[in-house]
Amino acid sequence: MLVVTRRSEQSTVIGDDIVVTVLEIRGDSVRLGIQAPGEVGVYREEVYVELERANRDSATSPAAAVVQLAALKERRDRRGARPRRASTGAQAPRAQA
Amino acid sequence: MTQTSDVLEDTPILRFAAGLPGFAGTHRFALIEAFGCESPFALLRSVEDPDLAFVVTHSAPFFPNYSIDLDDAEVERLGLVTSDDAIVLLIVTLGSTLEDSTANLLGPIVVNRTTCEAMQVVLSDPGRDAKTPLLAA
Repeated sequence: MLVVTRRSEQSTVIGDDIVVTVLEIRGDSVRLGIQAPGEVGVYREEVYVELERANRDSATSPAAAVVQLAALKERRDRRGARPRRASTGAQAPRAQA
Repeated sequence: MTQTSDVLEDTPILRFAAGLPGFAGTHRFALIEAFGCESPFALLRSVEDPDLAFVVTHSAPFFPNYSIDLDDAEVERLGLVTSDDAIVLLIVTLGSTLEDSTANLLGPIVVNRTTCEAMQVVLSDPGRDAKTPLLAA
């Protein structure tokens, strides 16, 4: 890892178009300003890791997605147009067997 | 600049300049909404990897009070002029039932509806969960 010592308001340049500036140092936290082109994603690491995991968990294939969506729809259709919250005390019509 | 070789002519291709976390190298996704008029779901299908897709939904059907604030850098990156230019999509993880399905409220996808530039943003306000039950609202 390259280690660079910077003071407040000093910057580090990465490549041609990324600039990391130390904006403020307060106690054990540092505020950084990051200038980067649109094709460079800038995330806090822990959030990036969480997004990565969430995206991997959500990833599917078009064929699998179509099958899953069809199965969900079929389930819903089978249950009929029952309201989502039927706890109003009103008599809900029974689905025909 | 239209590249619609393997998808329907009028299917919008969203361009993720910065890619999607976890899927380096995938930058273009077709937004396919053809699951019947009643379906709240659409499919984001990768142009680069035809086997990769995400199920997405608009926030309104499941999370009517969901709203997001973009910072200036995100607005600039997406080239948004007004908030009406933006479409917000949530990535969904489908379970076997809607009750078992979740949506990513932490990292919504924001699309410029005019240019189709898109990015997954991260919301820094607390209480945004990447796996919020779809029927939680």
